[in-house]
Amino acid sequence: MAVQGIWSGTISFSLVAIPVRLVTAVKPGRVSFHLLHSKDYSRLSRRMFCPEEGTMVTPDEIIRGYEVMPDKYVLMTDEELESVSPERSRTIEILEFIDVKEVDPIYYDHPYYLVPSKGGEKAYQLLVEVMRRTNKAGLAKFVLAEREYLVAVKSREGALELVTLHYSDEILPDEDISPKKEKIEVEEENRIKKSIQKMIEDFDPGKYADERRKKLMDILATKAKGKALVEAPAIEAEEGEGPADLVAALEESMRKVKESR
Amino acid sequence: MNRTFVDMAGGRLSLSNLEKDLYPSYGFTKAQILEYYRGIAPFILPHLKDRALTLKRYPEGVEKDFFFEKRCPGHRPAWVKTAEVPQHDGEPMTFCLVNDLETLIWVENLASLELHVPLARAGSPETPDSMVFDLDPGDPANILDCSRVALILRDLLSGMGLASYVKTSGQKGLHVFVALNRKETTFDDTKTFSKAVAEIMQKHYPDLVTSKMAKQERKAKVFINWSQNDASKTMICVYSLRAREKPFISFPLEWKELKNLAGLGDPEKLQVTHSEAVRRAEEKGDLFREVLVKEQKLPHL
Repeated sequence: MAVQGIWSGTISFSLVAIPVRLVTAVKPGRVSFHLLHSKDYSRLSRRMFCPEEGTMVTPDEIIRGYEVMPDKYVLMTDEELESVSPERSRTIEILEFIDVKEVDPIYYDHPYYLVPSKGGEKAYQLLVEVMRRTNKAGLAKFVLAEREYLVAVKSREGALELVTLHYSDEILPDEDISPKKEKIEVEEENRIKKSIQKMIEDFDPGKYADERRKKLMDILATKAKGKALVEAPAIEAEEGEGPADLVAALEESMRKVKESR
Repeated sequence: MNRTFVDMAGGRLSLSNLEKDLYPSYGFTKAQILEYYRGIAPFILPHLKDRALTLKRYPEGVEKDFFFEKRCPGHRPAWVKTAEVPQHDGEPMTFCLVNDLETLIWVENLASLELHVPLARAGSPETPDSMVFDLDPGDPANILDCSRVALILRDLLSGMGLASYVKTSGQKGLHVFVALNRKETTFDDTKTFSKAVAEIMQKHYPDLVTSKMAKQERKAKVFINWSQNDASKTMICVYSLRAREKPFISFPLEWKELKNLAGLGDPEKLQVTHSEAVRRAEEKGDLFREVLVKEQKLPHL
């Protein structure tokens, strides 16, 4: 079965429009756990708590505040938030083509693949091939899940890759990081060069794996096989009567029901 | 894949695999399913409106695997209305709201034969607008036993000053609804009340009724499932198709109709098929309308 897309539409520039689907390109290897109650294994749920009143707060009493200074907030309503959200759009409009090498990797955020939809295969292939030969990437604006992203569309192993990019103001300045320039001795430079030279390899990410994840998955697989499973209870409420008034009224009503039958 | 395009008020819809038979042992194609929902739309839409829909999709038909989909698919058309509803973990999730015919047809094109919705609207997920008694027969009890229980339940509730309404589940059971429509009512209220009712029923009809979830308690009895009165639970929407061997509908009945049909002693007589459903709804109007509008306060809480 074809991979389910998270978005579908067209990628376009000048007179070209190619129908595509967006699918995710990476699956983070994080192992996630549910939080259970140690006594009965039921799934715990999160509630919002008001420390002032010492009570749980229901969703209709929750609003958003932006902290301008300690304990001072500007309130923001759903409508106000909505008013600045971009319109959802069905196109990835390429604004310009840039040299792939020009993009500093620090800008790369999240990678996706673009899959050609029916009827778009040929134009898709053509774009992949031309971008590969010219080493160009398309720069586009793209609305996904109520946010507008700056994205780069690149050719990658016969397919199109879409990478969301950070906006330039999200990149933190690095001026405090690099130390003051000092004079470098030739001897020292050569020594470092030699050390590096000795360690040079081709980049092969397959050599490395998340060891913690691997060990964790092994433990989980063994435990699941050994049937070390615990089960959440069906919500079986404790025995016990309802409010006395209610029970008395129900008994009275029941008496009449039985009489009339 | 075979595609057919239809232009609707909301936008253009591409419908796929219309000829596919999704109820193979009965013979009911996707085109017929869409036709059913188009016909029943005026009746079902008010009951779906503004409720966070859980899709139950049967892409390969009712005899093959299905999957629940709570999150409104990301590939939805731009005109599909959605709502953010906080989940168990406190994180909001985007749900589809089936507020118009276009969305209903789009959802059915995804082969979501069954439409499940909560007892509360998306804007006030902690406020149930009705209370439900889900009557579920344990073998060999059947829908006729459920009818007996439902009729007693109606009288018991009526003695408490509460009007109730009944529909078939479209499977083996019946659902009895009590309209509330008051913003002061909480799920804690409906749970406390319905549990007390179920326990009284069990106390007075121990051979017929159980209020216990455990499987072994339910054998040959009607389980009054009061625990459906919960913000995290959904019920099959009235007028929804069910994904059984035959395309039965979860359909509302008048109380006297239930009594008469149950009196015939044939469980099948209580089931309503797709073709009957549209005709009967058009003839009698929406028998579940009061569930949406009638205000009732639960006494003695």
